[in-house]
Amino acid sequence: MAKVLVIADIKRGEVKRSTAELLAKARSIGAETAAVAIGNNLEALIPSLVSGGSDSQYIADDPGLELFSAGPYATCVVDAASQFGADQIWFASTENSKAVAPKVAARLGVACATDITDVAYTGDNIEITRPAIANKVIQRVKINSEKLVAVVRAGAFKMTDESTAGSENVIRLSAPPTDLGAVVKELIADASGEIDLGDAAIVVSVGRGVKDQKGIDLVKGLADDLGAGFGTSRAMVDSGLMEHNKQVGQTGKIVAPKLYISVGISGAIQHLSGMTGSQVILAVNNDPEAPIFNVADYGIVGDLFEVVPILRQQIKSIQR
Amino acid sequence: MKILTTVKKVVDVELTIRVESAAIVEEGLQYVMNAWDENAVEASVQLKENNGAETTLVSIGGDDDNTQIIRRGFAMGIDNGIQIDDPLLAGADSFVLARVLQKVYEKGSYDLVITGKQAQDTDNGQTGIILAENLEIPCVSNVVAIDVIDDELLKVTRLGDGGKEIVELKLPAVVTVSDSINEPRLPQMRGLMMAKKKKIEVMDLAALGTSFEEVGGSDNRSEILEFSRSQAREAGKKYEGDAAEITAQVVGLLVNEAKVL
Ligand SMILES: Cc1cc2nc3c(=O)[nH]c(=O)nc-3n(C[C@H](O)[C@H](O)[C@H](O)COP(=O)(O)OP(=O)(O)OC[C@H]3O[C@@H](n4cnc5c(N)ncnc54)[C@H](O)[C@@H]3O)c2cc1C
Repeated sequence: MAKVLVIADIKRGEVKRSTAELLAKARSIGAETAAVAIGNNLEALIPSLVSGGSDSQYIADDPGLELFSAGPYATCVVDAASQFGADQIWFASTENSKAVAPKVAARLGVACATDITDVAYTGDNIEITRPAIANKVIQRVKINSEKLVAVVRAGAFKMTDESTAGSENVIRLSAPPTDLGAVVKELIADASGEIDLGDAAIVVSVGRGVKDQKGIDLVKGLADDLGAGFGTSRAMVDSGLMEHNKQVGQTGKIVAPKLYISVGISGAIQHLSGMTGSQVILAVNNDPEAPIFNVADYGIVGDLFEVVPILRQQIKSIQR
Repeated sequence: MKILTTVKKVVDVELTIRVESAAIVEEGLQYVMNAWDENAVEASVQLKENNGAETTLVSIGGDDDNTQIIRRGFAMGIDNGIQIDDPLLAGADSFVLARVLQKVYEKGSYDLVITGKQAQDTDNGQTGIILAENLEIPCVSNVVAIDVIDDELLKVTRLGDGGKEIVELKLPAVVTVSDSINEPRLPQMRGLMMAKKKKIEVMDLAALGTSFEEVGGSDNRSEILEFSRSQAREAGKKYEGDAAEITAQVVGLLVNEAKVL
């Protein structure tokens, strides 16, 4: 039986849903599962690793791991992987995963695949599927090494009704040495209290069409009405109007919500590659030729300053 | 400070990509410098202008597109160009390419390697990180600012999952840059003319002092079996006309047809 180690995706003291999604996928291919959690003050998270579907939990809990640092994090993953005897090591797609996964693969001398959307065994070989060239093509890739380190594209693995809990079997890892070559001095944390784009069932995104802060506030109102995550395009980040952590796209977050509402976004290919996995897309744009309409299930051609207030009214009336 | 900047040619992602018989159709494709590598070149040239660094660019691949990409680097202000031209490297994976870059690095005794955070064609984002790991030197990825403290220390800013991380980075080191680090300059006519005359150092693996076996060329850890077209989303319906009317109509559909509200 294959053994899959899933790296727990922890943000603001919480285990993200993606962790359970990866564990569910591992169980669905008949693998024995383990999770590794790395950070500080992790004790309270162990139950959710168990209920998420891991059969053993490797815990690297140390004040020195409070701030992310790729080298020490990779050391913890390698430690857990060797103790567990992992055949595959899976990360949820985060910026930190992308920094750690290639390190782990290099240290273990095995293959590394990022942004995968599927994984399967064909005979003894591992095969993965992943998009490439800004999502225009899909690659089917054969892994030649016996083991694989993979970063899984957001939304690729879904929970199923059969997803089951695992069992508690906690193994504590020793604290890794700090990286003296790259010393993290400070974290300037993003504003807290916002809905995480990756978790949100609905995402509302604003583009350059909103023009200024007043336009942003208008659309943010719609997001708040819906309890939605609030995203944006790179043009808005470049202009300093929105924070980088809200950028959706090839260099930003990849989202796959139930409903994606795009407001005043043209639909450049780099933006599309971050959101076309959404179940339903609604676009509002005053240019009937905007490329966003090529991927939108529903398109409203109109001035957003006129449309969004009506949209809010309509939604409020059905919410009542 | 000596900087090595790695650049890759990628297919122009704005053009239509056709797939036939499980392969990408070459005809009609055009190649450009990877966008994130343009950010890497810009960051290197800024370090040259502000801190007197010497900049060298390396690209793996022997064809004319690669030569043009190196010339573009010259026109942006890069001092030296190295082109690794060896047909054996045609199907090399990130690990093999990282070994080749390691040989280039060791030959030139560089202080800093700057790469783009990923390539637009594969979106792999691995080579720079693996290079640092093989060299056992520190690496920071997704960097949005580089400040020189002294000959041995940089202060770099990384965009992480929780916010901006301020990292003190001991040289020699590798940084991979985000597209938010800068706005790459457009080469000027004069620069392009001068770039044509500049000499590019062309080397195969032997000239680099290594071999296909040594860079692990014969045991690629992964190989692409086939390409297929992405399932394109079908364009849905566009509603034009009276804003109040069409908005009400669409909200109705989101509730009753799509069932997402
Ligand atoms: C290497 C690279 C990586 C990139 N990565 C990303 C990425 O991750 N994410 C990303 O988003 N972009 C990315 N980009 C940038 C991308 O190419 C586009 O430039 C960007 O997405 C455009 O943002 P926008 O749609 O907000 O702006 P614009 O393209 O300017 O579009 C604004 C839209 O608003 C509409 N509009 C204007 N006024 C109104 C109105 N009153 N009512 C309704 N509609 C209106 C216009 O018709 C237009 O379609 C990347 C680019 C490169 C080169």
